[in-house]
Amino acid sequence: MAKIKIDGKELEVPDGTNVLEAVLSNGLHLEHFCYHSYLPVAGNCRTCMVEIEGPKGPLLTIGCNTKVAEGMVIHTDTPKAKTAQKSALEMLLLDHPLDCPVCDKAGECKLQNQYMEYGLYDFRRGVPHYFKGGKAEDIGEHIILDQERCVLCTRCIRFVDEIPKSSELGIVGRGYESKITIFPDARLDNPYSGNVTDICPVGALTLKEVRFKQRVWFLKKAESICPGCSRGCNITVEHNRGRIYRFMPRENAELNKTWICDEGRFSFDHFQENRVTGVRLGHSEKGLQEALHQLSEILSGMGREEVAGLASPWAALEDNFILKKLFEKKFDVKNLVAPIWAAKGGADNLLKLAEKYPNEQGLKLLGIPPDDQGFWDRMEKGAFKAVIVMNQDPFGQDEERAKKAYGRVKVLVVLSVHKTKTVEQAGMVFPVRAFTEKSGTFVNATGRLQRFRQAVEPENPDVMESSLWLCRLAGALQVEGFDFEDTPSIFNAMAKETEALKGLTFQSLPSTGKVLGMAPIAPEPFQGVKAQPNVRGKAKA
Amino acid sequence: MQNVEPQLTKRFGVKDGHTLKVFLETGGYSSLKNLFAKKPAEVIEEVKASGLKGRGGAGFSCGMKWSFVPQTTGKPIYLAVNADEGEPGTFTDNYMLMNDPHLLLEGILCACYAINSHAAYIYVRGEFYGQIQRLNAAIDEARKAGYLGKDIQGSGFDLEVTVHRGAGAYICGEETGLLESLEGKPGKPRIKPPFPAVVGLFGCPTIVNNVKTLASVPWIIANGAAAYAAIGTKESTGTHLFGLSGHVNQTGYWEMPFGLPVLEFIEKYGKGVKGGRLKAVIPGGSSCPVLTAEECADLALSYESMRDHKTMFGTGCAIVMNEHTDMAKVLKNLTRFYSHESCGQCTPCREGTAWEDRLMRKILEGEATTQELGMMLEIADNMEGKTICVLAAALAMPVRSFIQKFRADFEKYCKPSISAVPEAIS
Repeated sequence: MAKIKIDGKELEVPDGTNVLEAVLSNGLHLEHFCYHSYLPVAGNCRTCMVEIEGPKGPLLTIGCNTKVAEGMVIHTDTPKAKTAQKSALEMLLLDHPLDCPVCDKAGECKLQNQYMEYGLYDFRRGVPHYFKGGKAEDIGEHIILDQERCVLCTRCIRFVDEIPKSSELGIVGRGYESKITIFPDARLDNPYSGNVTDICPVGALTLKEVRFKQRVWFLKKAESICPGCSRGCNITVEHNRGRIYRFMPRENAELNKTWICDEGRFSFDHFQENRVTGVRLGHSEKGLQEALHQLSEILSGMGREEVAGLASPWAALEDNFILKKLFEKKFDVKNLVAPIWAAKGGADNLLKLAEKYPNEQGLKLLGIPPDDQGFWDRMEKGAFKAVIVMNQDPFGQDEERAKKAYGRVKVLVVLSVHKTKTVEQAGMVFPVRAFTEKSGTFVNATGRLQRFRQAVEPENPDVMESSLWLCRLAGALQVEGFDFEDTPSIFNAMAKETEALKGLTFQSLPSTGKVLGMAPIAPEPFQGVKAQPNVRGKAKA
Repeated sequence: MQNVEPQLTKRFGVKDGHTLKVFLETGGYSSLKNLFAKKPAEVIEEVKASGLKGRGGAGFSCGMKWSFVPQTTGKPIYLAVNADEGEPGTFTDNYMLMNDPHLLLEGILCACYAINSHAAYIYVRGEFYGQIQRLNAAIDEARKAGYLGKDIQGSGFDLEVTVHRGAGAYICGEETGLLESLEGKPGKPRIKPPFPAVVGLFGCPTIVNNVKTLASVPWIIANGAAAYAAIGTKESTGTHLFGLSGHVNQTGYWEMPFGLPVLEFIEKYGKGVKGGRLKAVIPGGSSCPVLTAEECADLALSYESMRDHKTMFGTGCAIVMNEHTDMAKVLKNLTRFYSHESCGQCTPCREGTAWEDRLMRKILEGEATTQELGMMLEIADNMEGKTICVLAAALAMPVRSFIQKFRADFEKYCKPSISAVPEAIS
């Protein structure tokens, strides 16, 4: 740790931290464009100018490439430093097209924000605008490049060089004619391409999927977890008026840093399409209340052993917990299994995992066993009269086996987000909420318990959270102990009875999750990528 | 002025002076006996004591630079020779390479021995085609005669020298831009620290030296630091190849000790100013602040005299301008050059150099008011010292000195200022 002084404020920061990081991570402000905590330092924008006191008097230098040293005295607000910050910004904006009204970055643009914070000078170019050209070039499956908006910070170049190591981007030309471009015959199609649009400080790189859809200042954000695979990357779900417009990566230094894969990023539409919209009994639509009443009557007429359940690695910890609890109290918990379907591939050594479900570890935590041959044998022999399937698609995964097994089941009850093959086969279908419509927790591949929060509210109030639906069913079956009203209270009850979650509450769970110390089912992320290039400079509390 | 024997130009004009045969006949490689008798650290001390300063423009102590190389990293150490002579008004390195390539090789050998390097790269400006052929021929000759390669002259010291041809970018003459270019990348100067002496070529400790710096070393090793330090002035020891161009009756280059008054240099060697009285001198390549005729009165060709006059010794090649010179047009030439040669990495340089050029164009077209002149000065302030390398400063210094010292030349193009332009950024 090094004791330093920034603008008179005494701080203690880890050795090796750079000055800019020390400023930013201690709640202070300093203008910057090219610096990114998770990319190597380029030092080209020249905006993070600070004055550092030295033996020969104060030295004007950039903060990002200056490592702190014991006793260092840093000024970000001297006239010299301020002029340097301001003038660099003036030059960055010199020939910027200022097409903010039609630019998707407007509202979260570093040029705009930093002009308001550090600029506020009057315009004085004095010469005609220099047109760089290069408007809306299609450079990849998802990416559009506007060269004239580019400030040449090289964040995108450093990203493709360092993280996916695909190096599709480079600078051509020299001096004022420099341009970021894609190499001839290359396409920016690497599986992490979307990240370049997040780190672009201006609107030079934008996503086709998001362009012109929504002004960013209308977007509301919910802290969430990507359910695309068992990595559990931290994201925010950004939505307006009940519609989700994008998933954005959320920083988690120990997990996804600030990156997510394209597969996860563009899955936002998946949760808004092909949804089960209403309760269905047989071939007719029914109200939820009536359907639950009918179901409870059917189940009450069956023996404890005659009802089976399918838990799910796609469902939240709370959903699986309530399902297990219901089986313990009303049916036979031996008949509750969680089929884990074979990994589907598409893994890499960065973030993507072959296990395309977010909560496999959660099932282990709750002690819900995977399906075994015995379970399917019993089903084929007609041991079960009813099966409750939660967020699973056995017909979609293995139709032949499912047909054989479910042939002798009288009532197939399906709780489903999407219209699946299983939904088509089901006798009773109950729509449930997707992860964007509820709160809950997942446990990722490396045993990190993470919370996601509700973003949008489904239009149809009959679309319930699986856990709360199960609680209603329990009520209808007159089983006690299921009077929960929301996910946090389910989690807190679960934490009380589960050894691994002792002492945790939903509300106090850190936003970056908590490592539970379970055996990992996959390696840590970013294998083969250089360790964190910059030391984060959090002061000691 | 002291009368001293030529050190750098001994073989200039000698028939076949560039061949190993003539080189050896005229005392070539005679420093090796002294060199190999010393320990590398002693060689560095010797060069330090000689007061030899880098001839590339910055004028940093050569021996001091060598002493920065860490010897315990376990990595190879490289020497990169900067022969990418591109500073406008500067033209002496190419004659060095043409007339006496072996002297450079001898200097390289001394330097590599001192810093414990076994591989040197000579980065030559692409246009120097004949010089590159001479250099390669000299390297072949030297290797065959055992002055390069394994176990040089029985000393046990190995050295390989490779010539690399540049592709014509001014910025590749900046030491870290040169290293990037040597590595096969675009010549964009590197952010410092780390400095090249610690992390240089291919991530290894590297010293970058100018041609004339290295060519001065053999004489120091052969004759001793004290003898070298006795030549020239107190702070500017030794001799240098001084060039003269522009409005003089005789342009050219001459080797002499430091300390000659500039006006005497122009009169005696340049045979006087051509076409009128003296108006201005750019003392050491276009990046140095310009001096007026009055300022030149007591100016001498030395690092300290230039510093006292708030300009720089630079490369030691002066550009002389007579009274009919339009300084605005001269500056337009420079702004065009630097905006074209900026690598484009740093914002203040990329935007600032081009902005200055666009403003100069506006001024020359008679569209500007005097307020644009103030703006140019302010942009110069906002560029200098705020970038990775000194290219931005290399334009800022002429802009400031030209406009401040020759304001009338600019004002004659300007309309009187009528409306207030926005206030300066402060």
